Amino acid sequence: MTINPVLEINHLQKKFGHLQALKDITFTVQPGEVFGFIGPNGAGKSTTIRILLGIIRASGGHAQIFGQDVWSDSVAIHQRLAYVPGDVYLWPNLTGGEIIDLLLKLNGSAHTVKTDDLIQRFGLDPTKKARTYSKGNRQKVALIAAFSQDADFYIFDEPTSGLDPLNERIFQEAVLDLKQHGKAVLLSSHILSEVERMCDRIGIIREGQIIETGSLAEMRHLTRTMVTVTLGDNFDVTDLTGVHEVTAGQHPNEWQFAVEDKELSQVMTTLAQHQVEALQSTPPTLEDLFMHYYTGKE
Amino acid sequence: MTRFGRLGQLTRLNFRRDRFRILTWLIILAALMASVAWKFEDIYGTQSEIAAIKSTLASPGIVAMFGAFSFKGKVTTAEIFANEMLLFMGLIQVVMNLALSVHATRGDEDLGITELVRSHAVGTLAPLGAAALELVIVNGLLGMLYSIGLTAANMPGATTEGNWLIGIGLATTGLLFGLLGLLTAQLADHSASATGLAYTLFGISYLARMITDVQHPKLTWWSPMGWVEKLAPYNAANWTPVWLSLLTGLILLNLAFFLNDRRDLGAGAITTRPGRRTASALLRGPISLLWRRERNVIIAWILAVIIFGIAYGTVFNTIGDILKTNPTMQQVFGSTMVHEANHQVLLSFTSLLAIVMAAVATIPGIQLILKLHTDETRGWLEALYARPLSRTTLLFSHVGMAFITSTLAYIGGLGGIVVMGDASLTHVQDGISATEFWHGVAAQLPEIWVFLALSTLLVGCWPRLKTLSWAYLALGFIGVYMGSLLKLPDWVKQLTPAGWMPRVPLHDMNWTTFSWMTGLAIGLVVIGWIGYRRRDLQMR
Repeated sequence: MTINPVLEINHLQKKFGHLQALKDITFTVQPGEVFGFIGPNGAGKSTTIRILLGIIRASGGHAQIFGQDVWSDSVAIHQRLAYVPGDVYLWPNLTGGEIIDLLLKLNGSAHTVKTDDLIQRFGLDPTKKARTYSKGNRQKVALIAAFSQDADFYIFDEPTSGLDPLNERIFQEAVLDLKQHGKAVLLSSHILSEVERMCDRIGIIREGQIIETGSLAEMRHLTRTMVTVTLGDNFDVTDLTGVHEVTAGQHPNEWQFAVEDKELSQVMTTLAQHQVEALQSTPPTLEDLFMHYYTGKE
Repeated sequence: MTRFGRLGQLTRLNFRRDRFRILTWLIILAALMASVAWKFEDIYGTQSEIAAIKSTLASPGIVAMFGAFSFKGKVTTAEIFANEMLLFMGLIQVVMNLALSVHATRGDEDLGITELVRSHAVGTLAPLGAAALELVIVNGLLGMLYSIGLTAANMPGATTEGNWLIGIGLATTGLLFGLLGLLTAQLADHSASATGLAYTLFGISYLARMITDVQHPKLTWWSPMGWVEKLAPYNAANWTPVWLSLLTGLILLNLAFFLNDRRDLGAGAITTRPGRRTASALLRGPISLLWRRERNVIIAWILAVIIFGIAYGTVFNTIGDILKTNPTMQQVFGSTMVHEANHQVLLSFTSLLAIVMAAVATIPGIQLILKLHTDETRGWLEALYARPLSRTTLLFSHVGMAFITSTLAYIGGLGGIVVMGDASLTHVQDGISATEFWHGVAAQLPEIWVFLALSTLLVGCWPRLKTLSWAYLALGFIGVYMGSLLKLPDWVKQLTPAGWMPRVPLHDMNWTTFSWMTGLAIGLVVIGWIGYRRRDLQMR
């Protein structure tokens, strides 16, 4: 039996006048999955999310949530969807408590014990007017409303950019809890530890195109390992296939270089023939991984 | 570093920030003043034309709207001009000043710009000082443009002193209310509240001058809005109002500095109180949300329009009694004719006021409709839109509330005039009958609806052009309100829906016009609705 994906995007495009904001976006999100949606500023993350919400209309391609079209069936989709924008703007003369309740009522749900629990955990004062809230507190209002809603698909657009580390942790726990209950989550984020800890799969977007999707482990294989080696003879490693950024070390016959993961075993075999005296290898960090994709450099 | 350190730099920054709005105001106001003055000799050049308008201007209805002025000896074109234009231009200039002053102080503070500025090496009072200096320069420039324009127009009877007195008098009146805005910006803790407070004080001042003008013009000296009438630039030039405005303004400015010095950034004497922990059962959808956010504004508008109506109604017994001015008429014509004449005067007065009421009642409606787009650009709609709410529901909650608010405000305003007016009469049969009242209501409502429908169309299809709503309403208002006094050609009045219906209850109701105007309004709303469903929302 195949499970239908919660979100299915096929070759999505969006033009603003002559500007091609989205060129080709394709990915899916399955039930029970946290999908990390990452990319540099201006790459098209928020534009994609707005198309998913039916706020703007795609110029090409298809996007479906729960098997329904995101533009024409938006109201039906929103019945089972929760969304937290990156910049939360709230009606200035309503209190946080009123806004949370209103947002819940608009989905046909109500203020529950869970809501009170979330208000307490996030440490929000619900009696203050939204005008007086800081950025972090405005985000809490939106997060509390989203988490107390019983939706099937949650979209978070950089939801923790104004939160302190304690609240960030509460957010992460809440998302993992959603996952355990089989909900699907689309999380756009810049916080790498957050992505590493929570996301099952990741889609990287750059200049309006998805350039990679997969799990973190799979992606690590597409990058390089840093190697520092001291050899027993004067073999020059520069000409080996799959080796880049070669620099000579401080000691004679010491080399530093990066190896493409697919060439790693071949390179090791060659090095072993030249009396390896010392060898250090460092797997790529998340930062390296993202830099690799964000800048698009070799 | 002094307390006003970098005042000059901040002032330049203010002008850079506000350059478009300042330029727009200056050009429109100076052009309005100069073009009317330029044309005025054609309108009221001859002695017979002057004599005819002179008695019109002395009638209480016109006095209530344009102010009480005294004429001595031979009346010149320039004197008529001053009478018709001074208060009107003063009102517009006050609106400009309140908008500029609150925007430059509390507006920047709300946005966090003041915090950023104050974190640099600027004096503690410099931001407020820069706003005050900006107002002085803008009003001064505008006053000079007025005086130069009047000198160039060279109306018969105009004097150099009078030309400059008008320019400087309007500049100081504007400045006075601008400085009042600076003060309310210190008292309130956010800009909407500061604007509301300033407009309340302005409204009180305007109402006070209207009532005193009709009854005891001397008492008008107690209202700052009335000072502009006392300039009498072309018959007995009086500089006292200028000094009074400057002195009062200086006191207000010092109060503002005093308060600014003693309060925390972002705080005000009138603070935002904590509110409900949970939403009431009534707050449950887009309509109740809009009502919850805007109820103060909506109620304030409807009440203000009703109060204005009642205030206008109090002058019915003065206007509607011809015998007061012509005691011999009853002997000549008999009492039936006199009552008929009284009735005609009141019908004409009510029809004139209906124009004003309709224009004023349209304002909150347009605001509610344009708010749909403001909310969109501010990101407030994003939270709503991610809910299972259709665009149709969103659009019609704003449009519906706008139509209801404007309709109620207009009925309330006209009702205030008629009920209060009829009650003040000794012979109720001279007053406005119920049928005439409802015809007056029915005659203006389609006009209001067409204006609102046009705003709906713009928000739905071309939201960037939404400001045109205000320009079109202003054109319609000036066309019919000032149109007859300025003898504007008929096609100017026909440009907007304000001129499409005959003046009712003075003339008969035209139900054909009523039907097609209502149909047009519905059509425009439908097109706007289709556009709104199809277009991208422009979220930040």
